[in-house]
Amino acid sequence: MKSSLRTEVGGVSLETPVIVASGVWPMDPRLWPAGSIEGVGAVCSKGMTLEPREGNRGLRIVETYSGVLNSIGLQNPGVEHFIAEELPLLDNSGRPVIVNVAFETLEDLGKMLERLKSFRSMVVAVEMNVSCPNVSRGGMSWGVHLESLGSAVSMAREVWEGPLWVKLSPQAPSIGEFARASQEGGAQAVVVGNTWLGMAIDNDLERPFFENVFAGLSGPAILPLALRAVWEAAGAVDIPVIGCGGIARPGDALSMILAGASAVEVGTALFIDSGLPASICRELEANLTKKGLASVRELVGRARNYQGEIGERLR
Amino acid sequence: MDRSGDPMKGPPADRRGSISFSRPLGDHCVHMGIELEGLSSKAIPGQFFLIRERGVLDPLLGRPLALVASEGNVLEFLFRVSGRGTARLATLPPGAALELRGPCGNGFPEPVRNELVLVAGTLGIAPFIGIPSFCSERVRITAVLGVPGKGWEPFVEWCSERFTGIRINSDDGSIGRHGDPVEDTLLIVGQRHEVWGCGPEAMLRGLGRVHEKGCDRLLVSLEKRMACGTGGCLGCSIRTGSGSKRVCVDGPVFEWRQVFGGSHEI
Ligand SMILES: Cc1cc2nc3c(=O)[nH]c(=O)nc-3n(C[C@H](O)[C@H](O)[C@H](O)COP(=O)(O)OP(=O)(O)OC[C@H]3O[C@@H](n4cnc5c(N)ncnc54)[C@H](O)[C@@H]3O)c2cc1C
Ligand SMILES: Cc1cc2nc3c(=O)[nH]c(=O)nc-3n(C[C@H](O)[C@H](O)[C@H](O)COP(=O)(O)O)c2cc1C
Ligand code: FES
Repeated sequence: MKSSLRTEVGGVSLETPVIVASGVWPMDPRLWPAGSIEGVGAVCSKGMTLEPREGNRGLRIVETYSGVLNSIGLQNPGVEHFIAEELPLLDNSGRPVIVNVAFETLEDLGKMLERLKSFRSMVVAVEMNVSCPNVSRGGMSWGVHLESLGSAVSMAREVWEGPLWVKLSPQAPSIGEFARASQEGGAQAVVVGNTWLGMAIDNDLERPFFENVFAGLSGPAILPLALRAVWEAAGAVDIPVIGCGGIARPGDALSMILAGASAVEVGTALFIDSGLPASICRELEANLTKKGLASVRELVGRARNYQGEIGERLR
Repeated sequence: MDRSGDPMKGPPADRRGSISFSRPLGDHCVHMGIELEGLSSKAIPGQFFLIRERGVLDPLLGRPLALVASEGNVLEFLFRVSGRGTARLATLPPGAALELRGPCGNGFPEPVRNELVLVAGTLGIAPFIGIPSFCSERVRITAVLGVPGKGWEPFVEWCSERFTGIRINSDDGSIGRHGDPVEDTLLIVGQRHEVWGCGPEAMLRGLGRVHEKGCDRLLVSLEKRMACGTGGCLGCSIRTGSGSKRVCVDGPVFEWRQVFGGSHEI
């Protein structure tokens, strides 16, 4: 990759600003389709929990218009198995590994980060997935309650000395406020964001498709929503924002960056195009050349400089 | 059977292709040939491809379809027209641009027995079409097919051309024997036989109930909704006697016992 794409985001040096989002790609790189590593700046692990989780029963994937609802339920083998079996494989991929951690209690979070500390050389950053329920608050997700989020981020900051990112929940009542709370808690970047809560109904059976009724929406259908959230977050914090949600074509990644994202994560689109990271990189390089710019960092937030009445109102 | 950890198998690849032919078989099914750009793809029966219209974001996901045959760069598929994706695929003309991810999954192994019975519910026949040319000549194959009935004649005829002596069963009795294919196998399966099944879950369960102990090896090819097709999304996970498995990489072919044998829900 050209050096013009090299960047640093939230304490992590990246060859390219394109990151594989959590939960969509195999933890064993031998299963990655040929060529899919090209253009990838870093890879997020599947959401890890302290103990193994079987995941949800019933249907887990339902296609919607230009999107996917998923209800995987954080199926994962637990942090010990991850460290022993999966982390070394991911590390072998030659790409920086970001570990996505999910937790229901602060105690679980602390224990997981304690364990990961000994593997610091293989983990370039921890990404906190705050979409899980906070057990001490009756199952309300960490990411929609400002104090819960703040306490989790501060506690993670105390334990984990490496780069710490927070992946915000789009269900947060105000993305800007929650991004600020993450920054105040010590996060070095915010990822905006996770899946958007939705549902689908099986009209024949007259019931929700999913056992858990609601499920997370991702894919091109959510791009405009995610873009707006990135814009808001970038206007609210000084730490970098990583744009995630609905990127399916190279121009979508560029839009995220122009809106204020320093890097992007791609998820659902990899289901249909494993070459997307490489094509995003080509698009970004071409855009830099066209504008006579030397680094992708110069593209970040350029749409925010828009001068005009509408721009003024939106800023 | 579980070849997910086998580095020799290799991951699927994303390939561009275009429709070389598309022929309806009655009102319900389509036989389609897809020409791949570039090198041909090595695949074995039971493996599958995720197929979608190129450049289109709605419908979004590739539809998993079993490879029926391949001739040079042309891959053949047989599919039932049911929801949005397959209905769309069925209307595309020759030359239309597609994307394929594959070959995915483990595929069928060499049979261990000389007597092989293939039991299919409608389109469950698809992964079996390539079996006769894949198996060594010593293997005697009997295909048993179940269809709803009226309107399925062209499909049945097409299948009959590919399997001599195929046993046809229909729910309404209008084609072949009146009844279901599992019942039909009672007359022909014994200890010397190996039985492979593909079709609705209820049929596969039934197959095991009657043959689990009565035949030498019972394999089934499963269908689950899929997103990535390469073991990443865990959308196709099933619970088995030996832990959680992903149908797209650990299957779709499993030992019947492993999937349906225990008290666990799949
Ligand atoms: C390994 C494998 C091999 C298959 N081989 C064949 C084949 O050779 N011929 C054939 O006709 N069918 C085959 N199927 C079933 C086929 O994939 C579905 O009929 C098809 O995906 C339905 O898509 P749709 O657009 O008609 O339905 P929609 O209702 O639009 O589908 C919505 C979503 O659900 C998924 N879906 C719906 N039904 C099924 C199903 N039964 N299995 C898996 N996913 C489903 C779709 O892929 C899509 O993501 C196979 C399935 C699997 C898992
Ligand atoms: C099948 C699936 C599984 C996911 N698993 C996780 C997970 O374990 N942890 C997490 O933080 N996000 C998870 N996500 C969310 C994605 O990482 C991403 O944030 C979201 O899908 C939006 O981006 P996209 O539209 O590019 O997919 C998952 C998404 C999908 C579709
Ligand atoms: S379809 Fe994604 S893991 Fe099987």
